[in-house]
Amino acid sequence: MSRRFRQHPAWVPYFWAGPFLLVFAVFLAYPMLLSVKMAFHQNAGPRVAEYVGTQNFSWMMGDPLFWTAVRNTAVFAAASVFIQLPASLGLALLLNRPQLRARGFWRAIFFAPVLVGLPFVAILAGLVFEKNTGLLNVALHEFTSLEVTLPRKIGGQTLGVPFTFDIEFPWLQSYVMPTLIISAFWMYVGFNMVYFLAALQNVDKSQLEAAEIDGANAWHRFVNVTLPAIRPVASFVVLLSLIGSFQLFELPYLLLQETAGPNNQGLTLVMYLYQQGFDRGDLGYASAVGWVLAIVLFGFAIAQQVYGRLRGADL
Amino acid sequence: MNTRARLTDAFLYAALAVFAVVTLVPFAYLLFSAFKSQESFFSFALWPTDGAWWQVDWGGFTVKHFRTLFVDAGVARATANSFFLASVTAVLATLCSAMCGYALAKYRFAGRGVLLWLVLGSLAVPAALLIAPGYQVAYWLGLLDSYAGLILPAMAPAFGVYLFRQAFISSMPDEMIEAARVDGCGEVRLFFTIALPMVRPMVGAFLLITYLATWNNFISPQIILQSQEMLPLSVFVAQLRGPYGTEYGLIMAGTLVAVAPVLVLFLLLQRDFIAGLTAGAVKG
Amino acid sequence: MASHAFIHWVRGLGLGIGPGVIALLAVVSTAAVLAWPRPERGGLEFWTFAPHHTRMYEPVIESWNQKAGSDHPDRQRVSLSTLSTGALAQRAQAGFWAQTPTADLIEVEQPMIGRFVAGPIDEVGFHDLTDRLREEGIDQRLNPASFAPWTSRGRVFGLPHDVHPVLLCYRADLVEAAGIDVDAIETWDDFERLMRPLIADLDGDGKNDRYLLGLWYTSLDDLQVLLLQAGGGTFDAEGGSLIASEANARVIARVVTWCLGPGRIAIDAPEFSPSGNQLKLEGRVVAALMPDWLAGVWINALPGLSGKLKLMPIPAWEPGGRRTSVRGGTMLAIPRTTRDFDAAWAFAKELYLSPDLARELFVTNHIISPIMDLWDEPYYAERSAYFSGQRSGLAYIEQALNVPPRSSSPFHQTAMQRILDTTARLHAYAQDNGVHDDQALLPEARRLLAQTEARVLEEMQRNVFIAGGWRR
Repeated sequence: MSRRFRQHPAWVPYFWAGPFLLVFAVFLAYPMLLSVKMAFHQNAGPRVAEYVGTQNFSWMMGDPLFWTAVRNTAVFAAASVFIQLPASLGLALLLNRPQLRARGFWRAIFFAPVLVGLPFVAILAGLVFEKNTGLLNVALHEFTSLEVTLPRKIGGQTLGVPFTFDIEFPWLQSYVMPTLIISAFWMYVGFNMVYFLAALQNVDKSQLEAAEIDGANAWHRFVNVTLPAIRPVASFVVLLSLIGSFQLFELPYLLLQETAGPNNQGLTLVMYLYQQGFDRGDLGYASAVGWVLAIVLFGFAIAQQVYGRLRGADL
Repeated sequence: MNTRARLTDAFLYAALAVFAVVTLVPFAYLLFSAFKSQESFFSFALWPTDGAWWQVDWGGFTVKHFRTLFVDAGVARATANSFFLASVTAVLATLCSAMCGYALAKYRFAGRGVLLWLVLGSLAVPAALLIAPGYQVAYWLGLLDSYAGLILPAMAPAFGVYLFRQAFISSMPDEMIEAARVDGCGEVRLFFTIALPMVRPMVGAFLLITYLATWNNFISPQIILQSQEMLPLSVFVAQLRGPYGTEYGLIMAGTLVAVAPVLVLFLLLQRDFIAGLTAGAVKG
Repeated sequence: MASHAFIHWVRGLGLGIGPGVIALLAVVSTAAVLAWPRPERGGLEFWTFAPHHTRMYEPVIESWNQKAGSDHPDRQRVSLSTLSTGALAQRAQAGFWAQTPTADLIEVEQPMIGRFVAGPIDEVGFHDLTDRLREEGIDQRLNPASFAPWTSRGRVFGLPHDVHPVLLCYRADLVEAAGIDVDAIETWDDFERLMRPLIADLDGDGKNDRYLLGLWYTSLDDLQVLLLQAGGGTFDAEGGSLIASEANARVIARVVTWCLGPGRIAIDAPEFSPSGNQLKLEGRVVAALMPDWLAGVWINALPGLSGKLKLMPIPAWEPGGRRTSVRGGTMLAIPRTTRDFDAAWAFAKELYLSPDLARELFVTNHIISPIMDLWDEPYYAERSAYFSGQRSGLAYIEQALNVPPRSSSPFHQTAMQRILDTTARLHAYAQDNGVHDDQALLPEARRLLAQTEARVLEEMQRNVFIAGGWRR
């Protein structure tokens, strides 16, 4: 019991926690409480507000735009979890091969896009996905137009891709969601790979070898040994990915030149919140939208915890 | 080495190479576009040529976009703002959360349980919930259109406190603190000269995480700032599309100016950064 | 050096290179930001959203600034900045909400006015100019329709910049080579029938790549031009809804068929987009709806089309119908937070009402002044080399008084956006069901518009500050 031997003055821990607590109280705890009150008001800017009861919520539930935003956001989140994360895991498995050389080099390449940042990815994608002149359409069009004529000896046929990609393919007009999903895939696939790569270090090599000796094939080894070992990290990454996806804003907002795109194809929940709060000035309604979003995300977090407990893997 | 192993090897490298090319092409596009004149932008997807792809037409390149950006558009100030906001926020947020994490890990005090509960609870609060009420509070405190309106709210990241608490618990034995106290080391000196160096990887990583997040933050400066000369690059570059909307090369040059500094910085410091990123997930 | 000592201190902590770099950045950038010279904020600050306005105003402001100061207290130096449309709207509004100073003069574009007048009338961030305009007789000198977009609940919040009549611009070289007589075109039916031979597959890949009209069903501006021309739109002068009007249904059904299926005559060649401009230069767009200001934009941005174009009145929706419309528009407004209202007002009048600027407006940007007594000026009657020797100024002035009125409702932009969304839904319906005939699309168009109208009216009802909705 050396602590009794020499104690610190009582104020010391408060001194260390003080700055955090102060900022936390003013800029997090208070706004959170305030947003409960604001959710029951209609605003015209920060100076004018009137109490409207639960009308913000009832209007939201009946607003087709809100449901469009929910649907778009959910589609994007589903794509993140079911397309992007498996790809990240696959990439991590490739990078985890023991014989791979220059692992750091490959990891740096795949990791680089996340450094670009959402606003700048959006601006870049705005040009890459343009029809007629965008890099993607030009490249796909050129590749699908390539023809190779075989030497006469082996038939002399002209081979080519059976279709030609339409250079006018309207990504930003009619395929906004795929555009967003592809852009986010490019940006985040290497980022999430890093988590999986770290998790793969937890896999017990001797177990893998034992399974191999028992004659389990690669798939069985993956499902029975690797997957259980990385499950806690994987469920954490899924949660992070869901939280990030549900707060998607900058990517569509800047990609679509500060609009929701044709027929609101790029309208997400946070963009809906932003439009209501900062284009229309209804900060109260925006708070109500914020709470609905928060409740959905709390739901995911609880589900993840429950899943973790059921699996016996405490996070 | 048997044939099968060689085949898997070839497949492995081929798959990685394809993926790497797809990952890198947009960077190449960004780089080339920033230096291309309007005519060559529309005639060539990557670099301008006279005929075959290896006959590079150097005349199709230009640095005029950068001249416009720095001389007319004032991108230098926006770059300084981005450096300022990102680095100052990173330093203050790291200090704040390291201090609080230290208190939670190494001291017993009244209210500790509540504080810990608050920190863990607020990890679940999505940033989007705070946009509207945060703006309202910034209005009441007179912080709109000021740097303080951006830096102050970012100074208390609960996630950072959580990470530092974990770091202090796992890598700093209590006996060390006791020993230092016995030697007559003051509490403040103890923190800065003994405790902080013990969690050095976390300090590095959290600085970098906060730096990157602030550099690429769009929505906060968009709603808080109003004066042109205070805007960071994220908002500044997005706004280039108004007056220079038809000059794609210029937009790409602006994006390059915004992206290059972090890219260089982070590829250099990659290891620190990645170690910290995964610490939360793997050790947590 | 202090920063050097700081690095040593950080090194001393043994935190490694990353923290050192960031700490150094923090010190250097703080010093840089603090030391950066503050922009001069003397005189009046003036924000505009249009680079072509900037080009035009610069000489006017320069000569104003030379005479500024000593002899006249209202003559203050003016400094002009160009902002993106979104930034201007967002920053002005942020300033109004927070009551922080913005600029002393702000040019507002028609689509953004709604957000500025959406609160209680005494919360509008701009000075109410109604009485001034009447006292000084300015309301009598300007084209009456030009005030409409800037009026909310009977109060006028800005000085109008323009009339912006719309004509149809067409590739005279192509049309004449095909032997098509544009005088025979009176209605859109005539246009489609007579021009159709010009649709062509230029590169021989089996797909058409030249189309008759540069417009698209996703463009709010194009759609609004056509709706207003047809007598539809959002709200009438009394505030009654036009959203579900028959005119709107006919227009959106027709526009959908223009962009789809065998009847397709349109191509998406957006303005201010290099790819859109590329299509125009490649001769893939035969005709486009062209407000006077857009003529100016083309003259500056597409010199390659000089001598190939001509202007004609827009084809009507029925024989004897309106042959013009209106697109865009700007006002000059003075925020209440201005440091000197009188000085700002003096400059506003000088800039917008001076015959010199009216001339400049036309010569550099092809924009018709809203000041009616200047419409006889000789420069409007000059032949334009760009438009193949036509008297292009007169062509616009002839239609200026026929410009349809526009709604000034705070909900106008919302309603317009909803009509655009409805058009996209109709397009999806036509695509999914293979309906390519506008008559066959009409019932669905009516049904969708009725839904949209009900929704917009509900949304208006909800606004506590304008409709007093919730309490009732």
